[in-house]
Amino acid sequence: MKVEDWLEKNTFHHSEFWDLRQLVEEKERKGLKISLCIPTLNEEKTIGKEIIIFRSELMERYPLVDEFAVIDSGSTDQTREIAAAFGADVYLSADILPETGSKRGKGENLWKAIHQLEGDVICYVDADISNIHPRFVYGLVAPLIWQDETHYVKAFYDRPLNYSSGIRPSGGGRVTEILVRPLFSLFFPELTGIIQPLSGEYAVRREVLEKIPFPIGYGVETSHLLDVYEKWGLSAFAQTDIDQRVHRNQTTNALGKMSFGILQSFLSRLEKFGRLPAIPDMETLYRQFEVEDRDYQQITHSIVEEERPPMIEIPAYRKKFGRESS
Amino acid sequence: MTKKKNAKPEKLSIEQLIGVLPAYVEKLKQARELFLANVVMFGEIPGPTFRETRRSQFMLDRFHESDLHDVFMDESGNASAILPGTRRSNVIMVSAHADTVFEEDSHPAMLVGQDSITGPAIADNSLGLATVASLPMLLDRLGIRLADDLLLVGTTRSLGRGNLDGMKNFLSTRRVPIRMGICVEGADLGRLSYSGLGMVRGEIQLKIPPDYDWNRFGASGAIGHLARVVNSIMEIPIPREPKTRIAFGSLRCGTSYDTIPRRGALRFEIRSEDDAMLTELEGKLKDMIDEFSLRHGAEFKMEIIARGNNCCIPFSHPLVKTTRQIMDALKVDPIVTPSSGDLSALIDAGYPGVTLGISRVENSREENETISIEPIFRGLAQLVGLLCAIDSGHCDES
Repeated sequence: MKVEDWLEKNTFHHSEFWDLRQLVEEKERKGLKISLCIPTLNEEKTIGKEIIIFRSELMERYPLVDEFAVIDSGSTDQTREIAAAFGADVYLSADILPETGSKRGKGENLWKAIHQLEGDVICYVDADISNIHPRFVYGLVAPLIWQDETHYVKAFYDRPLNYSSGIRPSGGGRVTEILVRPLFSLFFPELTGIIQPLSGEYAVRREVLEKIPFPIGYGVETSHLLDVYEKWGLSAFAQTDIDQRVHRNQTTNALGKMSFGILQSFLSRLEKFGRLPAIPDMETLYRQFEVEDRDYQQITHSIVEEERPPMIEIPAYRKKFGRESS
Repeated sequence: MTKKKNAKPEKLSIEQLIGVLPAYVEKLKQARELFLANVVMFGEIPGPTFRETRRSQFMLDRFHESDLHDVFMDESGNASAILPGTRRSNVIMVSAHADTVFEEDSHPAMLVGQDSITGPAIADNSLGLATVASLPMLLDRLGIRLADDLLLVGTTRSLGRGNLDGMKNFLSTRRVPIRMGICVEGADLGRLSYSGLGMVRGEIQLKIPPDYDWNRFGASGAIGHLARVVNSIMEIPIPREPKTRIAFGSLRCGTSYDTIPRRGALRFEIRSEDDAMLTELEGKLKDMIDEFSLRHGAEFKMEIIARGNNCCIPFSHPLVKTTRQIMDALKVDPIVTPSSGDLSALIDAGYPGVTLGISRVENSREENETISIEPIFRGLAQLVGLLCAIDSGHCDES
């Protein structure tokens, strides 16, 4: 499928799915169950609003979402208390599949959600969105409800950033534009059709989620795209314009660490897919500099992109969902 | 939303009605997330006066979703709909103003805490607007079906230069025979307004002409001149009775540290229980501004942007009396205060009405305006109780 054709057929705007009654009817006609997962770590400022809006609009007013859980990495603020106070099912990531151990990272929460939640489709929405709206969910699950051949739907949006002085518009995400898009252009040109490959909001069918590995850190979104593309091709993807997403700004240093993790996942996949000959062992120390009064200090961060295996390989999961080993 | 088809209007005595109010509070808490979602979603739609369309549109969406009748946006942008009663012989109106004091580019984002919600205009009047939009759902949850038609309205152009035009236009064009009206404000729980306070709202604009003589005695930039105007207004004797006040709401002048500004504007409001006093003070201000122009060689202009007459229903009116009884039953202390909002237009048009507040508020009209969540359910119960009392005839004059 040509990228242009794919863009034409599989790129949507959330307003195309405004008729939630019709969407719920189609979901029920197809017998689909939709789960919503919010991974959290210290999100007390925004979690309450997300829960209120999603529960009221997408569970009570329009029963599009059948199950809704907050999966927390061990917040030290009031995130879990606030989420529970507004009626969300709240889980500590470490309490899910305890026999697999506990790792710290957003990808860990996403992976464990596959076992904890029971939906045929799982929609992931980040917790740090200050202009949350039901479109962040229905815009993503709608293509999966309407198109059986679609397996993985990503969000894209305008990205105004929250600065202390207010909000100002930005271009695309910085890591997307200076790292991921150049890499995709070099090695996977078809994937450049995905406008925001690093967006934290996506909805995916269970049969896809359970068959792909999960980096637990920064590389989870990139590796998802590569793995799904390798197994199911470009036509498995769709993307929806969610308009505007207001979120916290990240420092350049933080983006450097993120890029380091993404590169680890990306290069390991190039090797796995046979696109590059064996690459040497990669360093896991990321080095940055701090300068103060001509005193140059090197700061090192250990960033290891550990991966969880495809969920289908976990015996407890196969037992819970009656799956055969792949 | 499912409707309880078998719900019938109940004619409760006032004692019975007061008796069920605590149970209403508990039942309303069960709709907490649905209600708060409306508050937050209205809060995140900017609605400066004259640009309330998106809020009105969202209101209409909510009305449609509740299967209301006559869902309609009029020429002024007022959003209205009717929840039909069983008897349909009378109309009770519940309204809230949709406009806010914040600009369109303020990009409001509400912060939801465990006990409170914070954000610009969350109290004034996102909470009130959400209350009106949620009423059909809340009545349904309580199993209440009124005999009278319930007319729900989100009014535009209420604040500042809006001059209550939304409500005035709605009443003059819709021409519905209204039995009684309740205006809903987010702030403050306990608010009881049954009178419209006479007011004159205006702006004094100053412009220093290009040929201004900076060497003349008393020459000054715009700040100096406006400071003199403020001082002169403050020297005007204000009577203790009838209660009268001149308030300064905004002074805009200058942009830097070292450049003398040549333009400025001072916004003020005169309030008085006596319409003649309003006229007298407006005249004094006008004379003062004319004198300033002649004496100082600068261009002073006074523009009146809104005015309202004193109007009220008596304190002894059964509507006021019953409201106080309901508040007392819910342990809400009444705060009697005259209104300069939509209630004035309602009473001025000849309809009995009151304004009620829904919750406790902090940092009113600041960016961090905050409402408490817990008191909201007593605020809602008071509104539902009063609706039932009006519907049952307990608020009619004999």
